[in-house]
Amino acid sequence: MNRRLAALRRLYAIQGAWNYERMLGVGMGYAAEPLLEELARSNPSRHPEAVARSAEFFNSHPYLAGLALGASVRSEYDGTPGAHISRLRTALCSPLGALGDQLFWAGAVPASVAATVAVVTLGAGPLAVAAFVLLFNAFRAWVAWWALRTGLDSGTSVGAAIRQSWLPRAAHLAGVAAGLAIGVAVPLAAVWYLAPFSRGGAAGALALAAGGVIAARLAGPMYAAPRFALSALAAALIFRLAIR
Amino acid sequence: MSLEPATWLLLLAWGILVGVDLVSVPQAMLARPIVVGTVAGAILGDVEAGLRVGVLLELFALDVLPVGASWYPDYGPATVGAVAYASVLPAWEQSLGVACAIGLTVGLLGGASLQWVRHRVVRDLNMRTNDLAAGRSAAIRGLQYRSIGRDAVRSAGLTLIALGLAEAAARWLALDPGTSHTLTLVAIGCGLAAVIGGALRSAGRGARMRWFVAGAAGTALLLGIA
Repeated sequence: MNRRLAALRRLYAIQGAWNYERMLGVGMGYAAEPLLEELARSNPSRHPEAVARSAEFFNSHPYLAGLALGASVRSEYDGTPGAHISRLRTALCSPLGALGDQLFWAGAVPASVAATVAVVTLGAGPLAVAAFVLLFNAFRAWVAWWALRTGLDSGTSVGAAIRQSWLPRAAHLAGVAAGLAIGVAVPLAAVWYLAPFSRGGAAGALALAAGGVIAARLAGPMYAAPRFALSALAAALIFRLAIR
Repeated sequence: MSLEPATWLLLLAWGILVGVDLVSVPQAMLARPIVVGTVAGAILGDVEAGLRVGVLLELFALDVLPVGASWYPDYGPATVGAVAYASVLPAWEQSLGVACAIGLTVGLLGGASLQWVRHRVVRDLNMRTNDLAAGRSAAIRGLQYRSIGRDAVRSAGLTLIALGLAEAAARWLALDPGTSHTLTLVAIGCGLAAVIGGALRSAGRGARMRWFVAGAAGTALLLGIA
């Protein structure tokens, strides 16, 4: 249990050495170290190659990497051939990346952040922000623990375990929740910010927002919101200085 | 803007923590602008300014989808500097535009600095390929700790730049109230454009889009009635 907890703790730093060659690979090796300690005693000849394999190229969503970590470590103890374990890791990259991105980056994160924005604009203040951090991290910790445990319990059949789990359904629901939460947050934020200004000023800001959205649709991937904003701020400053 | 040494050190420490949190460890959402802004505001004794700046930069951050090896801004240390500037002026209506400009500039710089760290990790990795192939755990740990250390240095540098920009703007940028209000309105408009643009892009045409439209229309209706 202590080794599992040590691995779980290290999974929080899985992107510590993120790079373009092995991506999460080094972090996976770092998290695998406590779990592979027993292998050094039970199968000393296999341990070095298992450690080397654990740090090979790997990419997935960081919060779900525990599934692949657990499955590959379990396979090492089961004596699965090394080439099979490498293939298992490679096969898990895409599904864990896609599911994790849907569940967290495009789902739970924007949903919870937008909900926090909405609540703050309604007057909840810093307590809402503290609640967001606590609740999100409680969920994330539970997911990390579930992922590691499921991977260790399933070994090479982790793919089936993922398919039958709550993950695919939750990923879909999280996306819908994100859409709703952002939809609620946008008008609340607009009123929160624009209420103190004149009608003309507020209308100008909303017109600029509409222009930015149209620019984003027309320019596609060429559009970058920060650059658009900095250009607009520079243009406004120059205009104001010119008419002064 | 004259900060007490203790306040300055706390802001620097907070900037390092949130900079490292974005990618390296622990990815606990501390780097979200709304969180960074609130805590930075509390450190500076102006939570209102922290929330106003944090929520505005959060609208930009909601446009970001940090999938795979994509390039994205680092708004954590940037928000620290933006809040430091906003806390100087008496009203957020006057400071939000310039604070947003500081946040976005340093955020973009932060995105570029992440690439620098990643390339340095590759160089470090290539020097230890034999150790990794031999399964030496110490080599893995060393790579991990050095990389996190580099990220901490990067975050410290970004926070210092953000605080330096805030200091420079507070000291030398003397704007009349009309210009300050105009910049604030522009920043708000662009923030709304960022969050709506991002939401439309990721919503596609399915259920997510329907719920986004329903949420926006329903809330707008309720606000209109209220």
